[in-house]
Amino acid sequence: MDSSSSSSAAGLGSVDPQLQHFIEVETQKQRFQQLVHQMTELCWEKCMEKPGPKLDSRAEACFVNCVERFIDTSQFILNRLEQTQKSKPVFSESLSD
Amino acid sequence: MAELGETGEAELQCLVEAEQQKAHHFIELCWDKCVEKPGNRLDSRTENCLSSCVDRFIDTTLAITSGLPG
Repeated sequence: MDSSSSSSAAGLGSVDPQLQHFIEVETQKQRFQQLVHQMTELCWEKCMEKPGPKLDSRAEACFVNCVERFIDTSQFILNRLEQTQKSKPVFSESLSD
Repeated sequence: MAELGETGEAELQCLVEAEQQKAHHFIELCWDKCVEKPGNRLDSRTENCLSSCVDRFIDTTLAITSGLPG
């Protein structure tokens, strides 16, 4: 790799591999934080009724179930989408228009 | 695997992320419709709802796309 060439429009290819790795790790952390934020909102909606003086055990149990079921749901839907795309390849084209 | 070059890889990365975002959107929509109170496992009623949700969303997208003029 020619380290003296400018990066210009070449994208990440000419970036120092250490920096690239750093960017990947930071991107992953950011994605994880977004997921946590999203799940907090979704599970708050499903599990919280009227906010009381403390988090009761029923809400806590619900939060545990919520996170696990959300992961199950994601997996289920991803599998389903994969199956559908195999049988209806036209679909991805119309979605990307 | 064929070499894509830098531009090809960047494009592929964009495509992959776009696909993931679409899937992400699906997941949230169908979670909203099909899961009321999260339980110990995904029961068959919920799974059926999730399957239907994906299928109907696809049908809807196709219907709207083909219904548009031009």
